[in-house]
This record gives sequence, C-alpha cells and structure tokens, in this order.
Amino acid sequence: MNLVHSEWIKLLTTRTTLVMIGVGLLCEGLFAGLLTGLASFEDIGEVTELITGLGLLMTLMLVLGVLIITTEFRHGTTGSTFLVTPKRWPVMLAKLGAALLIGVLAGLLFVLVNGGLALPIYSGRGGTLPPTDEIVKVYAGVIASFALLAAFGLGIGAIIRNQVGAIIAAIAVFFVVSGLPELLPGTIGEYFPAQTVGTLHGRVEGDGTLTQVGAGLILAAWSFALVAIGTALTVVRDLSE
Amino acid sequence: MPELEVRNLTKRYGGTVAVDDLSFSVDAGRVTGFLGPNGAGKTTTMRALLGLLRPTRGEALVEGQPPAAMERPLHTIGAALEATAFHPGRSGRNHLRSLAAAAKIPTSRVDEVLEMVELTGAAGRRVKGYSLGMRQRLALAAALLGDPHILILDEPANGLDPQGMRWLRDLLKAQAAEGRTVLVSSHVLSEVAQTADELILIRKGKLVAQTTLAEFTAGGRAAMRVRAADPEKLATALAERSGTVGRDEDGALLVEGLSGEQVGELALERGIALYELAPQRSSLEARFLEVMGEDAEETAP
Repeated sequence: MNLVHSEWIKLLTTRTTLVMIGVGLLCEGLFAGLLTGLASFEDIGEVTELITGLGLLMTLMLVLGVLIITTEFRHGTTGSTFLVTPKRWPVMLAKLGAALLIGVLAGLLFVLVNGGLALPIYSGRGGTLPPTDEIVKVYAGVIASFALLAAFGLGIGAIIRNQVGAIIAAIAVFFVVSGLPELLPGTIGEYFPAQTVGTLHGRVEGDGTLTQVGAGLILAAWSFALVAIGTALTVVRDLSE
Repeated sequence: MPELEVRNLTKRYGGTVAVDDLSFSVDAGRVTGFLGPNGAGKTTTMRALLGLLRPTRGEALVEGQPPAAMERPLHTIGAALEATAFHPGRSGRNHLRSLAAAAKIPTSRVDEVLEMVELTGAAGRRVKGYSLGMRQRLALAAALLGDPHILILDEPANGLDPQGMRWLRDLLKAQAAEGRTVLVSSHVLSEVAQTADELILIRKGKLVAQTTLAEFTAGGRAAMRVRAADPEKLATALAERSGTVGRDEDGALLVEGLSGEQVGELALERGIALYELAPQRSSLEARFLEVMGEDAEETAP
C-alpha cells in the first residue's frame, strides 16, 4: 500500500492530472447540459448513449495512464523510484493500482456531472428515462472503462517509454485499429479494445455475443496483459538516464 | 566485507565497452573519490552499484549482495545521480514525500532533510524554479532521506557556489566521520583533494589505481629542487652519478634519480655551496595528468 500511496502522491502533486480531469469534466458537463437542454429528443437519441458522454474524459484517462510511467522516463525520476524499490515489479503493480484508482475517481466525478445535468434536464423536458438499473449498469460500465483504459495506457507507456510515441500508439489502438474488426469475419471484432468499451457502455457491438461483464473482462485482459509485458520489460531494462 | 564492491564488472552497449573488467572495493568511514575523465565509466559503474544497470559480466555488490537483494534500500544506500532528474512541475517537498511514502519514512523526516540541505524555504516551490545548486541540494536531501550508511554521489559539487561547496565538503566529511561509506565522483580535482581520503581512478572503463590521497600524490615523480653557487658544475657532477637533471622556471636544478642526501654529499665533495635543497612532490592535478595521460586534459581544470 505504501507504494500505491507514493504513486498517488506523484499523480496528485503535478498540475497535469488535475488539469486533465478538470478540462475533461468541464467539456463533458457542457456536452451533457447543452445537448440535453437544447437538442431535440430525436437528435439526442438513446438516453443510454447520452449518459456515456463525449468520450473525451475516457480518452484523457487513456493518456493519463500513459503519462503515469512515461513522465518518469522523460524526467529521469525512474532512478530514484527504483532505488527505493530495486525489484521494480512492485512499483509497476503500484502504478497499476494508482491508474485504476484515478480511473475510478474520474469515473465517479463523471457520473456526478453527467448524472447531475443530463438526467434531470432530460426528464424536466418531459423525456422518459430508462429504468434506474439500466442507468446504473451503463454508469458502472463507464467507470470500469475509465479505470481499465488508464491501465491500458500504463501498459503501452511501459512498453514504449517515449511519451509522445506512447500517447500516439495508445490513441491509434483505439481510434485507428478500432476500424479493423469490420474487416474481420465472425465475432472476432467484438474482442478488440474499442469494441469492448462500446459493449461495456451498453452498446451492441458486432453480433452482440459479448455481455457487458464479458466485455469488461476482455478489456481487463487486454489492459493487464499490456501492463504485464511492460512490467517484464521494465524489470530487465537498463536505466541509463 | 567491504560496503561496496565491484568484481570484474564489464558493461557493454552494443559494440562500445563502457566498463571493462573493473574491480575495486570501498570501505566505511571514509570519503572515497571516484575520478576519471569524461566517458571513463564512472556513472555506469555507479548505476551498476545501484542496480539500475545489469552488468554484461561480473558483479556490483552492496554489503556483499546484489543491489536488488537489499531489504531496506533507502536505509542502506542513498544516491544522488543527476541534479536534473526531477519532475519540474512538482515541488521539492512533494518529490521527497513520494519517496518517503514508498519507503515508509515519516513526513517529519522529509522536513528534517530539507533543513539539513538548507532548502526549507524553497521546499514548496516547483522544481522548475530551482537553480542547479538548489537541485543538487534536493538530490542530496533525497539521498539522505533514509539516513543510509552508504552514500553514492555523482558530481554533487556541480552548480554549487563556493559556500555550497564548502557546505558539501563538511557534510561529506561528517558523514564519513560517523562511520558511513561515501563514494563521490567528481571532475573538480581540487574539490576531491580537500574531501577524499581514498581515490579510485578509472580510465576507459579500466581501473588505473586505488590508493589513498597521500599515497597517490606522493607516488608521482619525486624530484629534488637544488639551488647552488655553481649550478653548471653541480649539474655535470650529478649527471656523472646518473642523476637526471632538469631546470625549474627560475633556473634552479630539478634532480631525479638521486636522494637529497646523495645530492648534498656530492656538492660537499665538489666544494659547491648549496642555497636550497628541497623535495618536490606532484600536486594531485599534476599526478592525475601524469597517470591519465591526454584523456585527462579536459577533466583537470
């Protein structure tokens, strides 16, 4: 727990984390408030899609996950970090813990902002909200996706180490490679990271064979596998800078 | 058992050999200066001792064990490697807090080390506003955080003003006097001369010498400086006795190969009055240049 505490201090003592979450929440709040308040019900479409938000804060969580490790390489602080914990893998485990925690925290704040704006405005305009359990299920999926994407970013960052390269790679996996499944036969496409996020958010992806929990487990497998590869590389790599 | 030991350490990067079959040991209770020209392999060796690099061959040991086997690393070994290795947007105090939390060290110790390095007033400021000297002090504070009995410092005097260098010198000597092991690399030879009890010299990744400061400077070419009433006549007589005779800047004779007694007796025998007969020892800088050769030219200011 002491290592997770250390990583948590690192996360919250630079402006980057707070600015990213703050800007993300502001944009998501504006989106939820303006769309729900001004757009026609036809344009708004499914309420369950409305409450998953813009996707901006989720993308920022992916980037924040990358930054958790690449910032250390960029500023040369890995030396002092691994002097305190020479075995290295516990540090990576702690970073994973911190990534999941910050993802959950950002997810909860998102639910507060989105739920506090979109739902009352929508029902205030006479719209019919889906059953509460369905809303809770979507929000739970959103929180899980935030946490797992932060972990996903951490894995990519640990493998690539170069900050800009890792951010580009992480975003490419989601926004470029996500088009690939359409070219693939059968249900393979549902198991791609971006598609599992869709299923987690309550959308039906591909043939729809994956459940929400199943999609969460597949995304977790992607994320933890990347972190495991990144950890193995971090343990054996030299730290020359 | 030595506190720090390097046994046949070799580190290659592709085709480049950074450290080549290097062996030495460092004992407690003294300041050991680690000297060598730029690119000699000092930082690579220090990083291997800290477990940040994997040796290609050989081993680097802390208290007889590989660094990764340390039970309480920050309490065993403190290191300051680079004065620039901080997140610029984090305050000095928060940098230390994150390390302290990882090592289960109370926050009160963070304030103690900040006080020790005289950085308390700037502790809340972001590191990007620190001078190089302040960053050096912060790196030292991090090294001292766990009250370790071994300190490894890479060029800690860089960026310090004369007052800061004196403070550092006193700090290192005090740490060694308390029985701690201090290994400090530097290219500021005059600084090493005032601080180190022992020297390890490396060149092109190989050990050149491990010796005490006194032995090192005494080991240089010893010459007798001689001023005489008739220097030409004395020079001829000294040459006949196989002495090597040169001239100092003021015309005095510099005699190698003969002792002071031999020079004095010869002058008496030939009836030549002596005005000065003094042994000359190499300075650390002259000796360093002598041992390191041309590689050291850029390193010895």
